Amino acid sequence: MSLALARRRTSPAQTGVRYGPVVVAAIAFALPIFWLLVTSLKKQSEYGSALFPSVLQWANYELAVELADFGHFATNSLVLSTAYALLAVLVSALVGYGFARHSAPGRGKLFMLVIATWMVPNLVLFVPQFVLFARLGLTNTYWPWILWGLSGSPFAIFLFRQFFASFPRELDDAAEVDGAGPLRIFLQIYMPNAGPAIAASAIFMFLWVWGDWLYPALLLRQDNTTLAVRMANAYLDPHGNPLQTVTMAGVALYVLPLIAFFAFAQRFIVRGIVTTGIKG
Amino acid sequence: MAGATQVLPRTIPRREAWRRRGVRRAVTFYLLISPWLLGFVLLSAIPLVGAFVMSFTNYDGLNLDYLRFVGPDNYARALGDADAQYALGRTLLLMLVVVPVGLVLQLALALMVNQPIRFSNAFRTIFYLPYVIPVVAGVWIWKIFVDPSGGLVNAALGVVLPDFNVRWLVEYPTFVLALLTIWGAAGGGMVVFLAGLQGIPAEYREAAMIDGASRTQVTRFITLPLLTPVIFFNLVTGIIVALQILVQPMLLSPGILGLNPGTVPPRDNYFYVVHAYIEIFTKQLFGYGSALLWLLFAVVLGLTVLLFKTSRRWVFYGVEP
Repeated sequence: MSLALARRRTSPAQTGVRYGPVVVAAIAFALPIFWLLVTSLKKQSEYGSALFPSVLQWANYELAVELADFGHFATNSLVLSTAYALLAVLVSALVGYGFARHSAPGRGKLFMLVIATWMVPNLVLFVPQFVLFARLGLTNTYWPWILWGLSGSPFAIFLFRQFFASFPRELDDAAEVDGAGPLRIFLQIYMPNAGPAIAASAIFMFLWVWGDWLYPALLLRQDNTTLAVRMANAYLDPHGNPLQTVTMAGVALYVLPLIAFFAFAQRFIVRGIVTTGIKG
Repeated sequence: MAGATQVLPRTIPRREAWRRRGVRRAVTFYLLISPWLLGFVLLSAIPLVGAFVMSFTNYDGLNLDYLRFVGPDNYARALGDADAQYALGRTLLLMLVVVPVGLVLQLALALMVNQPIRFSNAFRTIFYLPYVIPVVAGVWIWKIFVDPSGGLVNAALGVVLPDFNVRWLVEYPTFVLALLTIWGAAGGGMVVFLAGLQGIPAEYREAAMIDGASRTQVTRFITLPLLTPVIFFNLVTGIIVALQILVQPMLLSPGILGLNPGTVPPRDNYFYVVHAYIEIFTKQLFGYGSALLWLLFAVVLGLTVLLFKTSRRWVFYGVEP
């Protein structure tokens, strides 16, 4: 931090002013997640009667995996998210590189179109796509995600364009003199130096599919759908009563990989956004 | 003159070479962006034209035999649709609460974690987490959090107020939804604000502090004006997202057997896109629903243009340092 700020330190009152609000806010933000974990570790009979579990019921997590065919749906989600993220990142990087480094008549207008598709309400675009996919017999398949991936994501294209635009042009010139074509320059110079942008966009693309409920709910069947759709249903006991505790264990298993990953990659993501996207 | 005639023959081939180079560059450009361009034409442009045409028909999503062109009927009906008007009113109300509150909170969080404090990375992670929690999980988390029987909220309030028993999702569904969306979006906005804060050169603040400005004055007169482009960005995206709210109210049903997308949300949470969704996918009125969505698009576009116009007065695009 800056010198002038650092010199003005620090009575206990100032410490309180500095830490009080941020601690209160952190508790408020974490409480609902904390409660998810607490509930997931209760006995079902303790739900609604005891505030905290007397003995931690890790068995809830085993039940959550067994009762819902968790592995099957998790695999579906993993396959779909990874395939989409991989395609979308690669294509968006290529397109972003084109927009950043190759001029042609109409480039500016086309880039405006990229931004514009970002602003069209999701459902306006999705309803006719749904009709199209249904007509082509692509519902109940993963093809829609493959096609979306192959055409890139406006958000990621924008990100890569901004990122690549800051690369020194001398790199291209040197490579061109050596006889490298645009594709080789892209693969051997731009991509290896695009770590933060690749990471940030890959994470968001993956997360979008992993977290999306609407499109798989409308496009896929009960058996080939994603974990998100499966998790929207409560776990039930044989009499049809909801098992809130096991449900919360299932939800925790659904989000824990993301939470662990983000806790680990938080700095990296923030840096990726700072260096790529929107600067103040 | 003699010099000119000598120069001319040399420049023409060079210009020719430049022109060819330009053509080659243009071809390269279009080849590079062709995946997006192809996808845009097939998956965006053609479907959008189709959706626009569809909004003038009675299309039911299945049968082309009964397809009839109904002219502007769908739009006339949409403008007189009491449910649509009610839903639009609820949506605007939600937007007017969630967007300003969310924006102030995001900015406050960014300012707080941008201070030189201990554990600032841990705090950032905590605020960012809800943003990456998928919608289905977020809805479950809040459903259980405010559940009258097993939730923490009523248990805590019950300590202070005996016999406290509010069924939040039945009595105040929009309040819970607002909390859920503000909680879920805060981290994303905070990170963008953080990026903006870190783009402000420290010398500006230092100079002001050496001149005797207080911390509050520095925030008010240095930081905030330089952040207006970021505020503007978060404002526009916040409004676009708020007007399109669909999945959270659909899933946040009061029922106990899960998140019930088949049921209509409580009347308070009957928002505009929810209405359009039900008309399209439940009642199979693809034509009418499309008209509803195009009207929303017009509202979104109008608001965005309006915001961009007013932005000239209050958004300060500083000189690059």
